[in-house]
Amino acid sequence: MRDSANIMKTETATDRLGLAMRASHVLVAVFVVAALAFAAIGSWSGDTFFLRLATEALIFAGFALSVDILLGYTGLLSLGQALYFGLGAYVSAVVLKEVPSFWAAMGAALVSALVIGFVTGLVANRVRGVYFALVTFGLAQVAAKAVYNTRSLGASDGLIGVPIVPIDIGVTTVMSNSPVGFFLFTLAFIVVLYAICAYLLDTPFGRVLVALRANEARVPFLGYSTRHARLAAYVLAAVIATLSGALYPMLRGFVSPELLFFSTSGNAVITVVLGGVGTLVGALYGGVILTILKSVVGSMTEHHLIVIGLLFMGTVIFLPKGLMGFVRPRVERLISGKSK
Amino acid sequence: MSTVLEVQGLSVAFGGIRAVDGVSFSAKRHAITTVIGPNGAGKSTLFNLISGLIRPHNGQVTLDGVDRTGASPHLMQRAGLGRSFQITNLFFELTVLENLRLAAQRLENVSRFLLPVKSSKEAFRRVDELVERFQLGSKLGELAGALSHGEQRRLEIAVALAAKPSILLLDEPTQGMSHADTADSAELIKSLAKDVTILLIEHDIGVVMDISDHIVVMHQGRKLTEGAPSVVRNDPAVKSAYFGDA
Amino acid sequence: MTAFLDYFQFVLAPQMITGLSLGVAVVLVALGLTIIFGLLDVINMSHGEFYAVGAYLALSLGLSGVSFWLLLFIVPLAMVPVGYMVERGLIQRVFNKPDRHVTTLLLTFGLGLVMEEVLKVVFGPNTQRPPTPISGAMDLFGVILPNYRAFLIVVGLVIIGLVAIVLNKTRLGAVVRAAAFDRNMAASLGVPVTRVYALTFAFGVALAGLAGVLLAPVFSVFPTMGRDFVFLAFTVVIVGGMGSIAGTVVAGLLLTQVQAISSLIVSPVWSDPIVFGIMVLMLVIRPQGLFGRLGHA
Repeated sequence: MRDSANIMKTETATDRLGLAMRASHVLVAVFVVAALAFAAIGSWSGDTFFLRLATEALIFAGFALSVDILLGYTGLLSLGQALYFGLGAYVSAVVLKEVPSFWAAMGAALVSALVIGFVTGLVANRVRGVYFALVTFGLAQVAAKAVYNTRSLGASDGLIGVPIVPIDIGVTTVMSNSPVGFFLFTLAFIVVLYAICAYLLDTPFGRVLVALRANEARVPFLGYSTRHARLAAYVLAAVIATLSGALYPMLRGFVSPELLFFSTSGNAVITVVLGGVGTLVGALYGGVILTILKSVVGSMTEHHLIVIGLLFMGTVIFLPKGLMGFVRPRVERLISGKSK
Repeated sequence: MSTVLEVQGLSVAFGGIRAVDGVSFSAKRHAITTVIGPNGAGKSTLFNLISGLIRPHNGQVTLDGVDRTGASPHLMQRAGLGRSFQITNLFFELTVLENLRLAAQRLENVSRFLLPVKSSKEAFRRVDELVERFQLGSKLGELAGALSHGEQRRLEIAVALAAKPSILLLDEPTQGMSHADTADSAELIKSLAKDVTILLIEHDIGVVMDISDHIVVMHQGRKLTEGAPSVVRNDPAVKSAYFGDA
Repeated sequence: MTAFLDYFQFVLAPQMITGLSLGVAVVLVALGLTIIFGLLDVINMSHGEFYAVGAYLALSLGLSGVSFWLLLFIVPLAMVPVGYMVERGLIQRVFNKPDRHVTTLLLTFGLGLVMEEVLKVVFGPNTQRPPTPISGAMDLFGVILPNYRAFLIVVGLVIIGLVAIVLNKTRLGAVVRAAAFDRNMAASLGVPVTRVYALTFAFGVALAGLAGVLLAPVFSVFPTMGRDFVFLAFTVVIVGGMGSIAGTVVAGLLLTQVQAISSLIVSPVWSDPIVFGIMVLMLVIRPQGLFGRLGHA
């Protein structure tokens, strides 16, 4: 019988999932450093436009995280995740207009995510594959149409006049209209969301989700109900998406039904595929890539969506693991090389 | 209790065809009970009924004295049933280590469900035991899909055994194996019977006669006969079921 | 009694006819979709864009003087090579990968995106409408029936019937179904499987294009018309049963009637949620849809 020290060493060395996760952490650290540098430059040059654009990119990256949880870990493609992003945005806007409290808005968003995510999840998770994609698509469409036609929610104009929110995080207070401040806050927020997801994926719960994607048929024989597992993943994804959405009105001061449209869900899927499905950190890099593509290519030609679409298709065919799928193994080798 | 699994009058029909028709038998503790029969006899369907993949139309499945008829697969697993598959059904994209750890993770306390995997000492201890028993030590870091067929079949059994079930259902464990691997597997299964009751589907008559304590013969969905290997081997009804009437 | 008859004559029947003409076109689009899924196991999320392309081709060719009757043949025919190349060049590349369903979904989703943008670039974002090829209306037992709608319904049903016959009663259909059921077996029997797959896909999108030609005068042409339509088409396929022709026909006609009639009772805003609700209900109660599948396991 080997001693416990030896057991742990073998397990660490051969635990590929753990290694992959650690590589993701390294890549996130790089991302954060780059973001901090960006903030410093932005602050020094007095810029607001690019900082706000980057903040928006981060918010949508957080949203993309939720798509990656479903697609990359349970293998479910949701084409209607915008439902939750919009839910978070609208709930947050409505609450903030009454009570300009960050925590009140977040709390309301969290609760609504849990409730709606659970109920919707019960319906959506009765099916898989393309049916799941279509049901989620339909749910988002129905919600979008409902909001579009609801006058008390601003109908097609949406809700404007969301006040500036002071965010008290103990050591300091960040104002939501501060370009640098809110950018840094959002960065921290999204990193926390990432950390929560990464942590959960390294628990027995998370490994069941990974198993779902690897071979769903075998999972019940491990002793787990696939239905419960998928529902849990769905609710988790709903929460992540909703919390990300709740930041949106704080940044922009308004919400509109466009947030619930298919293009929002579609963009998140593109983000995840470009960045790398199932890596979590791919959602972050993918979000940045997509924003850059849209702005840069968008300024050169009106038809940037064609370029993005072609790039997306090319990624699906030639680089199915996305950018991170390409970069991460190299980082893994670097890390494991070091530990020898 | 000396009977671990009891099956009574188990039946299921698919579109008019009685795949399993009123089958009854019991599996005794620490014995190796083997189900044999020509192709289409309903053996795998029987396993699917017992392990919860299919709901029987009639009959009862009792495990460790508790009625588990119609329980879904994950509940059966929790009740103490482990099962391997005729067509290898591993997590091919995951490492051998992760396959075993996943299967063993049920041994860990429920309170650890949301704690990091690294801290699941129970599960890793079990993985270590399995690695030694099934000689998978050198393959821990490999993806399950990269293993040879024989190694994969061994891993199948190890995964089914991981959560310390009271009964292990092995569906043609030596399927597709070489002669040497088959012999090794037979020895392995025999040694397993000391700790766990085994219910086995097997085609290789040599293996069947060598390791079985009790044989159940199925034919066209029904139980033809059952008994000790020596008895069954000489039963003319069994011979005609396999080879047809002379 | 007379009140009901009046209601029927002036409100309900016309609405049902509108629903029926939409239904016939939806069935044509959904047929292509279900054939592609049932036989090729491919989810074509760009199917709606092929419908749009058909409509735009009809619009532009019609504007340059090509007769409508010619368009009915040219447009679907023109789409065959396009569909063939898409299947061979794009879909085949990912077809043999392990998570094929998700990958083809993503790929065709991307394709649809690109196609929609291209249409927007080439034709502009505004709504346009080709002239109605057959004007006037007839009086059918007191109900006013626009001639073009009647034509639509008749032609649509004829085409649906032809498709069903070809697929189920001809040798060509048998070859296609065999290739779908067991690719390797069919290949070893000498069936040129890759070509059959590509042609089947081409046929499916050609049907969608044809529906586009037929419906353009009725519903106008705009770049996002495909996306709006494809959801209805998918709903029809799901309710009818993926891969079932009979199911598609029944579900298509029924759902469009439900949509048409419900918009008389409740605000039209609700007709989409109602149809969606039916899809969800079907998925929950009977996921395989009303009818069984075509040759795919």
